[in-house]
Amino acid sequence: MSDNAQRVSLTEIFLTFAKIGITGFGGGMAIVALVERICVREKKWITSEEFLHGLAFGQILGPFSLNVCTFTGHHLRGIRGGIIAAVAFILPSFLLVSTLSWIYFTYNKLPQLQAALKGTNPVIIGLIVVVAIDMGRKQIKGGNGALMALAAFSASIFLKLNAAWILLGAALWSLCSSYFRRRFT
Amino acid sequence: MASLLILAWIYFRIGLIFVGGGYVLIPLLNHIMVEQYRWLTLRQFLDGLALSQLTPGPLAMLATFTGFRAGGFLGGLVATVFIFIPCVVLMLIIGRNYHRLKNIDFIKNTLDGLLPAVVGLVAAAAWNLGASSLSGVKEFLILAVGFSIFKWTKISPMVVILGAGVVGLLLN
Repeated sequence: MSDNAQRVSLTEIFLTFAKIGITGFGGGMAIVALVERICVREKKWITSEEFLHGLAFGQILGPFSLNVCTFTGHHLRGIRGGIIAAVAFILPSFLLVSTLSWIYFTYNKLPQLQAALKGTNPVIIGLIVVVAIDMGRKQIKGGNGALMALAAFSASIFLKLNAAWILLGAALWSLCSSYFRRRFT
Repeated sequence: MASLLILAWIYFRIGLIFVGGGYVLIPLLNHIMVEQYRWLTLRQFLDGLALSQLTPGPLAMLATFTGFRAGGFLGGLVATVFIFIPCVVLMLIIGRNYHRLKNIDFIKNTLDGLLPAVVGLVAAAAWNLGASSLSGVKEFLILAVGFSIFKWTKISPMVVILGAGVVGLLLN
């Protein structure tokens, strides 16, 4: 843990992730893009590599959006930080779903919020694209990296493969290639 | 009280096998909530699915909805807490050992080697979201404006997203 990380207060962790939990409409990667903008870029709480490692680990169990929040919170202030980040991130959605559920089961009507999402969805796509470009510039070096990024992209879109499987494949590939590089050079 | 314990146990188990993103949850919860316990009708379940996708949280917020139906506000709370316990604990364990793992050369190399694939997945998410929600000129226009703001200004993403929500409400 760096000195910079030590100084972040639990209150600030809570407020930051609660804000992310309020605005991250648009599903998993929208959250990841927001956390990247705020925690990596703005506040420099965690490096880009560490954040992406957390995202890779986050594919193992449960929603990766929650997992990157837990991982980042833990990086800052250990177990307490991780739990506070996770709770703060889920809390707004929990309150929203509880309220909407109550309305739904009382009046048997679905609230009309879809119209708002029609505005946020395109903006979220813009955000994710910007984050992908920035990450790509930093993390994709050389032809091999570009090829792997393209393969993962295609496997997800055209083959509809699960992200966890894609990353497992990429991990095996990078394991083998570094092994052979060491042996034969 | 007994029913809350049952809820906690059900959702904890779901949390343990919750692998591969939110869409795995749909058939699983449907089976348990609609067919096995009959806490919800299929129609209610589908409405709950739509409802949980209105929120910023993961699709797993479906647990809150189904828990709410089974046991009120407390039921929703118990369901939400217990479905997320396993993955939060796992991430905390990974986080605790992360720096030690990163000092092992071959693990560090493997992790760094797969980063381009993670970037590819991020890009794929933008593509998938676009395929399902970009339907007209208006949406592409908002996308272009959003992209430019995020790329070339320092305006907080939260302000932009909430603003876009208001624009969406006004336009539709």
